Amino acid sequence: MRPTNILQTLLAVQDALGYVPPPAVPAIARALEMSAAEVAGVLSYYPDLRTTPPGSHLIRVCLGESCVANHCSRVLDAVRGHLKLDVGATTADGRFTLERVYCMGNCAVAPTVAVDDRIYGRVRPTDMVAILDSVADG
Amino acid sequence: MTRLYLSNDTSALAAGAERLAEAWAGTPAVELVRTSSRGAFFLEPMVERDMPEGRTAWCNVRPEQLRQILAGRGGTPVAGIPFLAGQTRITFGNFGITQPLSLDEYVAHGGFKGLSRACELSPDAVIWQLKASGLRGRGGAAFPVWNKWQVARETAADRKFVVANADEGDAGTYCDRMVMEGEPFRLIEGLLICARAIGAESVSIYCRREYPAAARTVQAAIEAADRAGFLKLDGRRIHFELVLGAGSYVCGEETALLESLEGRRGVVQAKPPYPAVSGLYGKPTVLSNVLTFATVPGILAHGGDWYASLGTERSRGTIPLQIGGRVKQPGLVEIPFGATLEEVLERFGGGMADCSRFKAVQVGGPLGSLFPASRLGIPICYDAFAEAGAVLGHGGIVVYDDQTDMVDLARHFMAFTAEESCGKCTPCRIGSVRGREILERIQAGAGLPGDLELLAELGDTMKAASLCALGGRAPYPVLTAIEHFPEEWAIGKRR
Repeated sequence: MRPTNILQTLLAVQDALGYVPPPAVPAIARALEMSAAEVAGVLSYYPDLRTTPPGSHLIRVCLGESCVANHCSRVLDAVRGHLKLDVGATTADGRFTLERVYCMGNCAVAPTVAVDDRIYGRVRPTDMVAILDSVADG
Repeated sequence: MTRLYLSNDTSALAAGAERLAEAWAGTPAVELVRTSSRGAFFLEPMVERDMPEGRTAWCNVRPEQLRQILAGRGGTPVAGIPFLAGQTRITFGNFGITQPLSLDEYVAHGGFKGLSRACELSPDAVIWQLKASGLRGRGGAAFPVWNKWQVARETAADRKFVVANADEGDAGTYCDRMVMEGEPFRLIEGLLICARAIGAESVSIYCRREYPAAARTVQAAIEAADRAGFLKLDGRRIHFELVLGAGSYVCGEETALLESLEGRRGVVQAKPPYPAVSGLYGKPTVLSNVLTFATVPGILAHGGDWYASLGTERSRGTIPLQIGGRVKQPGLVEIPFGATLEEVLERFGGGMADCSRFKAVQVGGPLGSLFPASRLGIPICYDAFAEAGAVLGHGGIVVYDDQTDMVDLARHFMAFTAEESCGKCTPCRIGSVRGREILERIQAGAGLPGDLELLAELGDTMKAASLCALGGRAPYPVLTAIEHFPEEWAIGKRR
């Protein structure tokens, strides 16, 4: 029998619901036979676990060193300006969530921006409008 | 029909290979074969053909160049590309050539020879080859690899584990990503050799979630190797699992990684006990970096002495440096230890990108020291870097140009530490926040007399009293930024 794994359980909940609703923590704890504090502790530790629903599309701007060296802050400013959105927030229409990420391993083709599963490289601030406009809604 | 080779590596795709594949899909004259990348990312997207004189490449290709390529006009022999020709590719020798998920190609290019050799030897003899090679962990701690294996082998237990650290959290590094996407069977082979040496039957690969393509490729490789019967040692099936991380930098530290594998907060644990004695689920565990495991098959296939013949006295073998930032030629450079930083930046990095002037280079990730132009004569080996209070880490080299503000850069690194701290050690948990606040104050022009001395004192405390390298190394980017660029730190002189 596999040992109880709080992290994998929370990730599975997030896969199903898009996030882990905080009111679900006691129920998850009961199912795992652990304390709510232990479950909440894991939920709050990992950046990839979210407690609010994300937008339809996730934009991640990389702030790793090579991207910083390639002036990614200008790219981030372009996204924030175009969407009127701060890091960690979701647009009012629920379409885009903006996050920063620390390294996707695309350092040799920096700056890097990921929109959902697609990774863009050598991104210039002026590219962002076209990239965001190309995001199809399905 | 003409066979064209195009990489499906994440960075090659981001550089334009995805656009080429889309544009050329379904073209009857073309058989598109997707390979790993040569790692010369400044030349991607690269398209190669087999020509009478050998593999020939077209670089920075646009879709409309297809006709020219099919006519065989304007290509460069790969053997004549200086960036590649000057390297010593012993771990990355097949990159750009083979299809990542083809077992046949892996075997045809020397794959699983190391494992065969390891299975002919006793476990002690396998460990002896590791010792003779002088291989030190390539994740950053540079611990002698043979020693971990020996301790795990000698520790009695009913179960033992092998764990690959595929978190590769240092920004500026991507060689593990390349191994997982480009030659996953090499990683699997190294893991199997370790399992044989220590008597383990379970292998876990902890891969950062920020590498979805690498994770998918490794998963597919595990399944292919399993179907072909490779995941067996002495008739016993070896269980492989791939686990994704959840965005925490500290989970690249070995004890925090094991906590995370067991589903808990990735908090650093005191050592002893060392993982080789008591690791995953309290059992003897060899936990090493992907690159370390990827180097093992070659050592078993060709012998430890062969590997040790390269490099320097205490830094044996080769290191795949990953060059990024504002250089002309970012990419993977596998060379023996011993060349200077300056040689690497000029000969391989190609100097600065257009319209960029050199300001500083950071080696070893977000906790690495900054080197100004006057300090580039340092040889790339573990001891020289340790003497200089610096670290090679995972081999990441990032070059900054003169548009980068050193105060802003220092603030960025301290803020990163504050965000990623696991919270266990007070100097790191609170010190990084206070450090960030001081740097923000200086950046806003509100620096106070004594702030720089305060940062130095804070740095001393963090260095002395942190359990892991996050808190221990966090002061270095800040203090080297102050040391080498004093003119940017004059309190009261900022706007």
